[in-house]
Amino acid sequence: MSIVLISAPAHSMIRVLAKEMADKTGWPVYSRDQIAEEAHAQGIKLSRLEASIIKSPIMSEKLAWEKEIYLSFVTDVLFRKCKDHNLIYTGRAAHLLFPGVPNILRVGINVPMETRADIAAKQLNLSPEKTLDYLTSLDADVKKWVHFVHRTDLNDTSSYDLQLNLKHLSLANASDLLMQTAELPEFSLSDESVSHLEDLHLAARATLKLALNNETSSLNLGVRSSGGVVTVTYMPRQKKVAESISRVLGSLEECKEHVCTMAETNILYLSEQFDPKTENFRQITQLAKRWGAAIELIRLIPKKDGIPLFQEVAGPEPRTEPGTYTGGVEDDGPEVNTDDGGLHITLEELVATGRSAGGVTIAGGQREVIEVVRDTDNYSLVILDDLFTSKGPQASTRLTRELGLAIHNRLKTPVIKIDELKSSFLFGTKQAAKLLMFSLLVVCIYGLVFMNQLPIMNFLGGELHEHWKWAGSVMVFLFVPLVAYTYGTVTGLILKLVNID
Amino acid sequence: MHYILADFVQLDLSTALQVVLLGFIGGVLSGFIGSGGAFFMTPGMMNLGINGVVSVASNITHKFGKAMVGSHKHGKAGNVDKKLALFMLITAVIGIQIAVFINNYLFEGGTGHGASKGAGANLYISLVFAAILSVVAISMMKDVLGSYKSGNDGDSGPSRKIADAMAKITIPPVIYFKVADTSVSLWVLLPCGIATGYLAGTIGVGGFIGVPAIIYVFGVPTAVAAGTELYLAMFMGAYGALSYAYYGFVDIRLTMLLYLGSLVGIYLGVYGVKVVNEKFIRLVTSLIILLCVVSRAIAIPMYLRQLGFLSFDPSYDAYFNDASKFFLFASGISGCLAILVNVGRSYIQRRGLQKSLMVINPDV
Repeated sequence: MSIVLISAPAHSMIRVLAKEMADKTGWPVYSRDQIAEEAHAQGIKLSRLEASIIKSPIMSEKLAWEKEIYLSFVTDVLFRKCKDHNLIYTGRAAHLLFPGVPNILRVGINVPMETRADIAAKQLNLSPEKTLDYLTSLDADVKKWVHFVHRTDLNDTSSYDLQLNLKHLSLANASDLLMQTAELPEFSLSDESVSHLEDLHLAARATLKLALNNETSSLNLGVRSSGGVVTVTYMPRQKKVAESISRVLGSLEECKEHVCTMAETNILYLSEQFDPKTENFRQITQLAKRWGAAIELIRLIPKKDGIPLFQEVAGPEPRTEPGTYTGGVEDDGPEVNTDDGGLHITLEELVATGRSAGGVTIAGGQREVIEVVRDTDNYSLVILDDLFTSKGPQASTRLTRELGLAIHNRLKTPVIKIDELKSSFLFGTKQAAKLLMFSLLVVCIYGLVFMNQLPIMNFLGGELHEHWKWAGSVMVFLFVPLVAYTYGTVTGLILKLVNID
Repeated sequence: MHYILADFVQLDLSTALQVVLLGFIGGVLSGFIGSGGAFFMTPGMMNLGINGVVSVASNITHKFGKAMVGSHKHGKAGNVDKKLALFMLITAVIGIQIAVFINNYLFEGGTGHGASKGAGANLYISLVFAAILSVVAISMMKDVLGSYKSGNDGDSGPSRKIADAMAKITIPPVIYFKVADTSVSLWVLLPCGIATGYLAGTIGVGGFIGVPAIIYVFGVPTAVAAGTELYLAMFMGAYGALSYAYYGFVDIRLTMLLYLGSLVGIYLGVYGVKVVNEKFIRLVTSLIILLCVVSRAIAIPMYLRQLGFLSFDPSYDAYFNDASKFFLFASGISGCLAILVNVGRSYIQRRGLQKSLMVINPDV
C-alpha cells in the first residue's frame, strides 16, 4: 500500500499530472477540491475558514481550534480513502498531511510563474498583468495559510522526499518518475506507518467528536492518540467543563481508553519585548511541550500617565453559541495596538501551537507583577527576559534580580533568567587551562610566603620594618589584591565546574 | 615605635587550619548575610591567641582584597552606586583615622595601668564589639519576630520609617544618587560615614553599620546597599591595610590563610542568598551575631583583670578564653551549617531543574 501526497501551487497542471500517474498506476486520485466539497457537505465551510485565517490580525484560540477541526476532518477523510488502498492526493500543502508518518511519498511540484500565468489567464479570462497580480496575491495567502495550519514554510525542502521542476520536464516523464519512486520499497507503508496512521485517525475522530458536541465545543484541547488510547489535554482554566470530555468520548469507536489530563502547569514568561522568532522563545515553547505546560506572557513596561496598569490582551475567550460552527469567521474585533512589544504576535504563535495561557501588559514594577500572579499556584517555572531596560543596564540587572526574588518568595517557584535556558555553565578547555594556570600561581605564592615566614614578617613588622615602613605598606597594598584575585579565580572556576555560580 | 615581631603568633598546622576554618565560616556568613564576616573572624583569631590589633589589622587587610573581588562582581550585577560610595568613603576615612589612632594608643599601654601590652586595645575592641553588635542583633531579631507575628511572608522590603523621616531633613546640600535612586542630605551622610569608618577601623566591622545605615537611613535597596558597602569597603580596607601595615600590625600569613577559607565560603554564601528565603537569612544572621556578642562578653573580665580593674587568679583566663571560644565557634559553625544545609538542599533542587532545562538545549 502506498500514499503519494503531491503539493503544487494553484494553476499548475497538478490535476493533469496526477491523472497521468493515476492512469499508469491505477491508483485513485483525490484532490483538495473534493475535500472542500465534502467539508461543505458536513457544514465545514473551508473557504470561510481560509478567509478568516488570511485576514485575521490575531490568531485567536477559537481560530486555532477551528484549524484543528479542519485538519482532523482532512485526516479522517483521507484515512478512509486510503484504508487498504493506494492513494494519490494533490493539494497546496498536501505533503504536510499525516505528519510524522513514515513511508509516505511527499512530493513538491515547481512550475514556472509564466506557465502558471498562462494557465490562469486562460482559466479566469484575465489580462497578463492582472493574472500576475492575482497569482502573487494568491501565493502570499497560501503561504500564510500554510504557516498557520502546518506551522512550517512551503519552501522548507526538508519536508519533501522529492521535488520536481516542470520547467523542462514533461508531464509524462514527471509522472513516470513519480510512479517509479512511489513503487520503491521505502514508500510502501509498513506496519509501523499504518499504526501511526491509525493513531492519527483516532485522534482526528476524537477531535471532531469533541468539536461537534455542544458540551465540549467551547474547549481548546490538545488531542493525541497512541495504540488506541486517546489523551486529551486541556488548560487549567478549563477544568470546570472538562468532565464532559469523558462523556463525549465514551462512545468513540476503536478507542480502547481515553485519558483526560489538565496541562499540569504554566510557565510564566516576563519581558518588555516579545519575539516569537527568537531562539529563546523556541526553547521556552519546547520546554512547555515537554512539560505539557501552557505559557503565560507578561509584558512589563514602565508606568506612564495614560497607560492602564493592567491590560489583558488574550486569554480565555467566551464562545458564541455552543456548537454553532462559524467556519472561523468572526465579526471585526477591536483594533490591535501595533506597539505592543510583540505580545500579540507571540500569543498568536502560542495559540497556534496550543500553548497559550493568555497574556497581559502590566505598567509598573515588582508590586504590580506580584499583584497579578499572587493568587496563581500552578506555575512551575518563571522566566525573566530583558526587563526595566529604560533604567540602564546596571539598574536593570538589579531590578530584574529583585523581581525574581520577590516572585520566588511569593510563588515558591523556580525563577530563572532567560540566559539560564542556554545553560551557560560550560566548563571548556579554556576554563580548564585558566584553572590550572591560576592554581599553579596560587601554589607558588603561598609556597613562597610560608617557606619564608621569618624574613617576610621581619619586613612587615620586625626590625627591617622599622627602616622600610612605607615599603611594607605598599607591598601589602599590592600583594593582597593579587592573592585575592588569583585564589578567587581558582575558587570561582572550581565552583563553576560543580555548577555553583 | 614598638617592635611588633614578637607579638606575631607562631603558626603551627593546627592554628593555620583553625584560621582557614574561621575564614570559611566567616566567608559563608559574609556571603550569606552581606557583612564582612569580621565579627566572627576577628574574635576567632583573638581566641587563637592572636593579638587583638594584629587580628583586626590582618582581617581588614583580608577584607581589602576580598572587597575588591566582591565589588567587581556586585558592580556587574548593577548593585554599586559609586557616587554614594565616594561620599561615604570621604567621611569614613576620617572615622578610620580616629580608630587607628585610638587602637595604636591603647596598644602601647595608653590606659596607664601598666597592663600587659595589647590588653587595653583588646578590652576596648571587645567592648565596642559587644555594644554595637548587641544593638544590631536585637534590632534584627525584633524585625524578624515582628514579621512572624504579623504573618508577613518575608517578602516585604525593609522598613522605610527611618528613611522617610530622614528624607524630611532637607538641609542643603541634598545629593541625588542615581543607581540607588534616592536623595540624602550631606548632614545625614556625614555621621553615618564617620561611624562606618570608625567601626571598620576599630573592630574590622564596617558593614554591620554601613549596610543598615544605607538601607534604613538612606532608604537604598538592600542589594545596592550591600554592593555599595562592599565597594566602599574596598577603599576603607585599602586605607586600613596601608595604615596598619605602616605601623607593622599586618600578619600577611593570617590574611592569606583567611582567604583560603573565606573565598570558598563567600561563593557558597552568595549562592545561598539566591536560593534561601529572606526571613531565614535575617533570623540566622541575628542569632549568629547574638552568640558572637556573648562570646566576646565572656572574654571581657579577662582583659579587665589584665588591666588591673578586676582581681582573680590568672589561671582562670584559660577558662574565660575557652568559654569565649566555645560560644564563638558554636555560633559560627551552627549558623554556617544551617546555611549550608539549606544551600545544599536548594542546590540539589536547582540542579534537577537545570538538568531538565538542559535536555531541551541541543548545544549542551
